[in-house]
Amino acid sequence: MGPAITIAIKDLALRMRDRSVFIVGLIAPLALAFIFNLVFGGAFGADELSLDVGVVVEDEGAAGEGLLGALRDMDSSGTLALTEFTSLSEAEEQVEEGTVGAVIHVPAGFSDAVAVNADTAVEVIGNVDAPTTTDIAAAIAREFAAGVRRTNLAVTTALSTGAVPPGDVAATIGDAASAAPLLGVGDIETESRQLNTATYFVAGLSIFFLFFIAGLGVTSMLEERREGTLFRLMAAPIRRRSIVLGKSLTSVVIGLVSMIVLVIASGIIMGAEWGPPLGVAMMVTSAVLAVVGVMTLVGGFAKTPEQAGNLQSIVAVTFGMLGGTFVPVAEGEGLMSSLRFVTPNGWFMRGLGDIASGDAMAALPSMGILLAMAAVTGGLGLALVRKVVHA
Amino acid sequence: MEAILQARGLKKRFGDLEAVRGVDLTIAPGETYGLLGPNGAGKTTSISMIGGLLERDGGEVVVNGAQMTTTSLAPKADIGLVPQDIAIYPDLTARENLRFFGRLYGVRGLELDRRSDEVLEVIGLTDRADDRASDFSGGMKRRLNIGIGLFHKPMLLILDEPTVGVDPQSRNAILESVEHLSDEGMAVLYTTHYMEEAERLCDRVGIIDQGEVKAEGTRRELVQLVGQLDRIRVSIAGSADGAIAGIRSLGGVSDVVSADGTIEILATNASEVLAPTLAAITTAGAAVHSVTIDEPDLEAVFLHLTGKALRD
Ligand SMILES: Nc1ncnc2c1ncn2[C@@H]1O[C@H](COP(=O)(O)OP(=O)(O)OP(=O)(O)O)[C@@H](O)[C@H]1O
Ligand SMILES: [Mg+2]
Repeated sequence: MGPAITIAIKDLALRMRDRSVFIVGLIAPLALAFIFNLVFGGAFGADELSLDVGVVVEDEGAAGEGLLGALRDMDSSGTLALTEFTSLSEAEEQVEEGTVGAVIHVPAGFSDAVAVNADTAVEVIGNVDAPTTTDIAAAIAREFAAGVRRTNLAVTTALSTGAVPPGDVAATIGDAASAAPLLGVGDIETESRQLNTATYFVAGLSIFFLFFIAGLGVTSMLEERREGTLFRLMAAPIRRRSIVLGKSLTSVVIGLVSMIVLVIASGIIMGAEWGPPLGVAMMVTSAVLAVVGVMTLVGGFAKTPEQAGNLQSIVAVTFGMLGGTFVPVAEGEGLMSSLRFVTPNGWFMRGLGDIASGDAMAALPSMGILLAMAAVTGGLGLALVRKVVHA
Repeated sequence: MEAILQARGLKKRFGDLEAVRGVDLTIAPGETYGLLGPNGAGKTTSISMIGGLLERDGGEVVVNGAQMTTTSLAPKADIGLVPQDIAIYPDLTARENLRFFGRLYGVRGLELDRRSDEVLEVIGLTDRADDRASDFSGGMKRRLNIGIGLFHKPMLLILDEPTVGVDPQSRNAILESVEHLSDEGMAVLYTTHYMEEAERLCDRVGIIDQGEVKAEGTRRELVQLVGQLDRIRVSIAGSADGAIAGIRSLGGVSDVVSADGTIEILATNASEVLAPTLAAITTAGAAVHSVTIDEPDLEAVFLHLTGKALRD
């Protein structure tokens, strides 16, 4: 262990002098999270996600009644805050002003149109600054439409501000007879939503940037090979595994420090609420190990430090997108939301959500999966990387 | 006395290329041994196998009684290896570079401080001890490169062409410190393609070419291989390629080589062959600038053994 620590200390000293590690590990994620929070934060409210949804039911048939009833139920159960409007123009005005995030509009004659198989649509009008509320309103409308089950029934979403062109959000739906009860809408609120906005963005961005600094260990080994210092390390009376271990240790330490500083700083500066420190620390540690493992594996395929950097960036960005780093990924079914869970990012966010909501035990599976990822990718990665020190 | 280094039958091939084909080397404690050979002769490859950096295809290496492999630790601790290409951390200071590698070789605590000061003195970097190596001149980097190798007071210091690309002043400083270390009893394995360095520093010299040690011995022993031959060097302008065959066929000429406007001839008696040689050169259409006649030196030995000039 001695030589590995000596090597890690040397590498850490070098990384401190090379200021890029501060930028990638601390400044960039904090700054971006701060900006994201300013831009998107309004939709969520300061602390808790409040879904202000409006509804205009001009339809006098059973379908309209059904939707209204279901929305009222969700309002009384606290899932969302419902405002009922009598006219569409009034509703649109309120969306524009941001009093409600989105409005679901059931047009006059909807039930009749459905009955005779004529073209009709449930419409969702959302505020661009409230993408999540709009998404949820659209999901409710889609769910409702699915219940109505008509082949030619479409749900359209329009954004009131006009910056974004209106487009269909829901496709055609299977056929059936009448308005069925709304099922599953209550499930919309899932794990990630239990983090407040600031926390969500800092967490997502910090694990995203973690990918870049967690790759430094392997990359620096390839750099040392090119610069010739690796041969000096190999000529020294130390085991070759100490070299590899020292490099991995560097990645883990830099990753942990950067994450810990981010957790504390985002709490102070942006009011991020991560939850109980012990749980968060365990979650963060698991994530750092998993990401170091993944990056070691990826770097193990590279011949030069540049190649390693490029491969690692590709993986970092791909996992970042899949894992919902930049935008909260829509929950429920769909390829995207399942792909989330092939990434450490997805499990990290999920586990943090569980911890923040006070259910630390629920985070254990996420933690376990991260540690398993760390073991598998790290093991394979080390096997690959060892070749670098075998002349 | 037991040898500090014993290498027997070292072999290494890279694909189709037999880079080292059966090198034997023995170095006694305190001895300075020079491995003299041109570019690509196999010097670095041999040294890498001796230092346990490179897996060998054949042969064995014993350092201070212990078998050297790429994974062995004790024999590595007895060696200080200074690579041909400068291998230092540019973002660390001279002192930090020394201390880091010193630690890896097991130097600890106060000894680390004391030894840093000593080595900085030896390599003449005391004034620049706390400056980053990236700010150093080429010669200073070379000296730091050497300092790292001798930090832990190895029994055998291996220096791979340590003066390449260095100004005359730094070169002299490097040669002096090697002499100094040798006086203190450190055994040195010194590779070079500079004949003068080998002649000045080394107790014994091995002449290596194409992966083989062609001859080995003290300077005197090697020169005797050439016998009582005289060495004639003719510096010319123009091409005298047409004259070479004619000169070679002269009675008493043993070797002829022509490179960079110089023709070198080894002959039993310079005065007998000089006139016909100069005539052949002028007939071939080249002008003679100067002629020198020397006692044979290691360069002449090299020429005699390999049929080519040592310079690149
Ligand atoms: N890793 C390698 N892969 C392929 N060929 C190699 C490798 N290392 C050395 N060689 C070849 O082996 C031969 C001997 O090389 P080596 O570096 O040992 O020569 P050298 O005597 O140190 O030369 P120089 O004075 O230029 O340093 C050369 O032909 C070289 O091209
Ligand atoms: Mg060499």
